[in-house]
Amino acid sequence: MNKFIVKICLKWCAKIYIWRIKPHAIFVAGTVGRYWAKESVVEALKEKNFPVRASKKNFNAEIGLPLSILGLPSGEGSFISWLKIICNAFNKAFKSKAPMTKEFLVLEAAIDRPDGMKYLLSIIKPKTVILTGITMIYAENFENLDEIALEYKILLKKMPWNGLAILNFDDERIKNLAESSDRRIISYGFSKDVDFSIERSQKVSDGQKLEIKINHLAKKVQVKIGRFGRHHVYASTVKEIIKENFKISTIDFFKQIRD
Amino acid sequence: MSFLRTEKIKLSPIKQMEILASQIPDVVSLAQGIPSFDTPLVIKKAVMKALGRGVAAKYSLTYGLPELREAIEQKLADEKMYYDFEKEIIATVGSIEGITASLISIINEKKDEVILFSPSYASYPEAVRVAGGKPVFSNLIEKDGWKINFSDLAKKINARTVAILFCNPNNPTGTIFSKEDLFKLAELTWKKKIFVICDEVYKDFIYNETRIDTDTNTDKHGYEFFSLAQIPDLRKMVIRVFSMSKIYAMTGWRIGFIHSDEENISEIIKVHDALVTCAPTVSQYAAIAALNFADKEINEFCRQYQERRDLICGYLDELPEVFSYQKPNSSYFVFPKILKIRINIDKKTDKHIEGTHIGQYLYPRKSVSWDFATDLLNKVHVAVVPGIAFGPSGEGHIRLSFGKTEKEIHEAMKRIKNYFNE
Repeated sequence: MNKFIVKICLKWCAKIYIWRIKPHAIFVAGTVGRYWAKESVVEALKEKNFPVRASKKNFNAEIGLPLSILGLPSGEGSFISWLKIICNAFNKAFKSKAPMTKEFLVLEAAIDRPDGMKYLLSIIKPKTVILTGITMIYAENFENLDEIALEYKILLKKMPWNGLAILNFDDERIKNLAESSDRRIISYGFSKDVDFSIERSQKVSDGQKLEIKINHLAKKVQVKIGRFGRHHVYASTVKEIIKENFKISTIDFFKQIRD
Repeated sequence: MSFLRTEKIKLSPIKQMEILASQIPDVVSLAQGIPSFDTPLVIKKAVMKALGRGVAAKYSLTYGLPELREAIEQKLADEKMYYDFEKEIIATVGSIEGITASLISIINEKKDEVILFSPSYASYPEAVRVAGGKPVFSNLIEKDGWKINFSDLAKKINARTVAILFCNPNNPTGTIFSKEDLFKLAELTWKKKIFVICDEVYKDFIYNETRIDTDTNTDKHGYEFFSLAQIPDLRKMVIRVFSMSKIYAMTGWRIGFIHSDEENISEIIKVHDALVTCAPTVSQYAAIAALNFADKEINEFCRQYQERRDLICGYLDELPEVFSYQKPNSSYFVFPKILKIRINIDKKTDKHIEGTHIGQYLYPRKSVSWDFATDLLNKVHVAVVPGIAFGPSGEGHIRLSFGKTEKEIHEAMKRIKNYFNE
């Protein structure tokens, strides 16, 4: 099936779905560590008993993002499969019922060319954005990393007035983006002057131990993870930020139990 | 001019057999372990896209493309192996480069012996020699389903031993080492402070009736495969090697990866850099697509290999006086024992002829399995790998690959039957 037709159909079905259901969309963006940050956000929201849906592995760009929003698989190379998916997309767009409690939609947002973010934002505008880092990967169609940063600047600008941006301040480009944004920002990283400061990170035989200082609460959280690498330290910090900032209301909690 | 370092290194007998076979018209080869399938379309399309974008012609980072290593980390995590894509994973030129780079980095003047199971993959001894080491064989126990002989293994480990290198599921036997045996192996190597290099390139081709462990989660085929790389406490002594060649039918792309603790990888990367700079970038793009989009194809390959295994075993069942064999529960090889030999007998004198003619060439007599394989090639034009290629205890066997098409398997096995019925 023609890619253009698939793209347009999925885009509009996703837009209709969002307009009808009004989920709380969280974008996990950045050129590195998105997957693990997304997984952490999902874990945190589940721990808080929120209804959550998330993009599947690599469903994160022009076609993958609307598929994730609609909760549909890919048709891969098959014309028949795509035809079925388009039919299902229309069904989901027009027949889905909104859950009693607001649904969280955690989406990876990947861009591989200039203006890629504009296209994703034409489908959905997230209420929460997490920016992980900007490195040399996925940079092939961009002049330089600053050009990628401009895409994320657009993302922050297009957030609603009450949106929340969770930014990794260890990345200078992302830190600079914060200066030009008037949305609510929560910063994280290894430096002391961030909201969620990673104070200690230690590799142990079966993973990593870290201590996160939540500066505005003057509180410290000890975390143990069974994974290795700095990106998991960041992902765990994002998890703590989500846990701290998204709390289910008592009314919604009982509503969920009734459901 | 002299070649002191390389003169004792031989071309793998598998490749020798393929060279001999290439000289014979109408040959059917069940020798080299090449999947009959083409690389899945989804991978080829992704590569064409990368080529079109002009991103595949440059070197990548020595460790490999970060996107690939991130995808590898995710894949490993799905299999309960947790490694940092930035510091603990290297994209390699197939698995053999990963093995060789690992061996070069760990072998030294004081510790140069590497223990290999016999039978096991034919290129291991040469890789050890290339790295300046000495291969030491420990025979597997055939009657127990090619199990590890721990008393023999313990005797082979000495002050010069630096590592044990093995293939699981094993090539050429197609058997899987049990979790219990792997734990024993880990305990032994941990006590002796030696590395374990595990090559797991066939781990996705496990056939239905195999049940390794029932008390843990099952993999996508419904059965659990256990790797020592899943145990965090063994990270510093286990180097795991994997290749895209078999699982995604990508033998020609030469792409694989190794992973281990940062402490080991930071040394291996130096050798990898000196040897190849980086894995081919175009193949790394292929590997990204494979890891992300080709799961469906693996399941289909696995299903077809299982059918082919049953087909080839059916033929072997028709020759009970000629071969005895253990049905492989993984990989795409069967390793029958030769019970009846009718080669190189001069009909006039009834004496054994020393040497084997292939076309115009006379090859010196090497071993029973070599003679049998070359005679089979000479008389009915079927190429198989002589068991001696896989170590001393491989002698008296041949390796048949059912990675080939059903048509090729039918033809080759019919010819083998004719050979014995003549």
